Amino acid sequence: MSPHGGDGLAELLGQITGFIFPNEIEIHWSILIVVYPYVTGLVAGAFILASLVKVFKVKEVQPTYRLALLTALAFLLVAPLPLLLHLGKPLRFYEILLTPNPTSAMAMFGFVYAWYLMGVLLLEIWFEYRRDLITLARTARFPLNWVYRVLSLFSRDVSEAALAFDRKAIQFITIIGIPSAFLLHGYVGFIFGSVKANPWWSSVLMPIVFLMSAIVSGIALVIFLYMVLAGIRREPIDMACLDKIASYLFYAVIVDFSLEALDFIHRLYQSEESVKILGSLITHKLFMSLFVIQILLGMFIPLGILVLAKMRGFGDELRKLLYFTAAILIQLGIFATRWNVVIGGQLFSKSFRGLMTYKMEITGIEGLVAALVLLALPFAVLYVLIKLLPTRRLDERTPVTG
Amino acid sequence: MRIPEQVNRLAIVIGVLVALTLLTRFVLIPRSLVSTDLHWAAATQREAIKPVKFAGSTACQDCHEDVAVKKARSFHRALSCEGCHGPAARHADDPSAVKPPAPRDRKFCPVCHAYDPSRPTGFPQINPTAHNPLKPCISCHNPHDPVPPKVPRECAACHGQIERSKAVSSHALVACTTCHRAPEQHRRAPRSALPSKPETRDFCGTCHAQGADAKGAPKEAPKVDLATHGGRNLCWECHYPHLPEGRL
Repeated sequence: MSPHGGDGLAELLGQITGFIFPNEIEIHWSILIVVYPYVTGLVAGAFILASLVKVFKVKEVQPTYRLALLTALAFLLVAPLPLLLHLGKPLRFYEILLTPNPTSAMAMFGFVYAWYLMGVLLLEIWFEYRRDLITLARTARFPLNWVYRVLSLFSRDVSEAALAFDRKAIQFITIIGIPSAFLLHGYVGFIFGSVKANPWWSSVLMPIVFLMSAIVSGIALVIFLYMVLAGIRREPIDMACLDKIASYLFYAVIVDFSLEALDFIHRLYQSEESVKILGSLITHKLFMSLFVIQILLGMFIPLGILVLAKMRGFGDELRKLLYFTAAILIQLGIFATRWNVVIGGQLFSKSFRGLMTYKMEITGIEGLVAALVLLALPFAVLYVLIKLLPTRRLDERTPVTG
Repeated sequence: MRIPEQVNRLAIVIGVLVALTLLTRFVLIPRSLVSTDLHWAAATQREAIKPVKFAGSTACQDCHEDVAVKKARSFHRALSCEGCHGPAARHADDPSAVKPPAPRDRKFCPVCHAYDPSRPTGFPQINPTAHNPLKPCISCHNPHDPVPPKVPRECAACHGQIERSKAVSSHALVACTTCHRAPEQHRRAPRSALPSKPETRDFCGTCHAQGADAKGAPKEAPKVDLATHGGRNLCWECHYPHLPEGRL
């Protein structure tokens, strides 16, 4: 609810007094709460792609390793912002950290987030970049050299033993990082899945569905960024890498689709008392965002495209185009998935009598513009990160500039 | 084994962070914010010492059993006593000194029973200005067993929204009973005997089929060829009978 929503709400209350259904008039969780799981999902997905290189030794994916890590960091830094903007009193956010409430899943978010950011992602990036930071601290001009010096925590040891320790540390952190990434996004799904009063959310499959869709969106995002970056730098794209990531994307989409279909069929077969209102929810309010955008544009068409691309015989250029299109469509589809969960779950009356309407603000603190800015912000952060931190190991390329 | 240099540096950073967190947690923040059982213990205490105002329906039943039994069989069985009579904890404590109010004017009942298009169809709704002006509701209706004093003549008494839609449509002059047959019991216990609804395309065809004029249908009713119009769909899948001009 926006800070000024109170006045409007008081005005509307008169219209829902007495015997009337639906008697809910306020959609409390706005588009910002759609942006939050979407962005968090991209973090988890990008990290899991990065972990393929270190834990599962998928060598083909190496060119995107650092990019995936930086993408995860850029999006993770922005992930709590939609929640902060949504809070009525944003400056009180630190209270969830200072007065932990272990019985509330939502209140534990601060710890899950802090663990993932500081315990996993920053540590892994630091160990990965330490050697490059030391080199850059020597070669860069003032004041950048000081930035690098601080970032490397004034570390100077680049002996073989120290570098071997870095590699070991990275492997260890990645192994811990995979369950942590699962925790981060599974937790987001858990929050929705554990709302037992809401039949659209309450499902034990929710965390795993969130997780798989996160992996799908994260992989698709890294494909997109890798191709865009190669285009900007006028560098050739490593097709073996791209093919490998695309095939992971293909399997992830299949698993994601199967899980969501299972959830759907299960609800339909269980046919609890809510089935009627959920039926009219998906055929009226969510028809466009569920059937057209999420399932058709976001799953079937990209799956078709990926199958086409896998059937060899296509040239590199055509495959690139196909992957790029699939990656963009999947982003659209996963955003619609988040929309359908967050907004969809609030569009029907908890009395199961009647549907509500979500009227999005345009310029308010929880409006469309704020959401678009929040979606664009990670790319700006990523731009700065890529400027500061090279996406390839320094000895792999031509002399260091800057 | 020698501890690698980078681990020492990381340990300093992590140590500083942990120290800052502990300092804030145990020194800087006020006591009332931290509690071993609940957060905002002070706020919880503040709320807990507020007086209890509601007695609860079971307390009412103990003395007013006759009313409770009557209400339990009526259309108002789902309403709580204090919903209309207000919080009655003080009355339950001292029944003779404190009497709970009872709404006796025309303002209270329309909160639920004034016409509102969002209320479900079949729920009794009136126009408070036109419905027996100035007469208090309780002079005709007993709120503990609310039934109309006489069986409503018009369907609109309950189906206000349909009546209002139909009144502005080209079906305005078609009586409800032209299309629905309502058993007498439907008027007394609406859900136990539902009115009939048309079931076939031929029913609408009585007025709207080509050649229906000859059988006495109004000339101005639009005519279609039932054999080809709309395929296998039933008429009301495309045309809302209570407002045929509207689009579904």
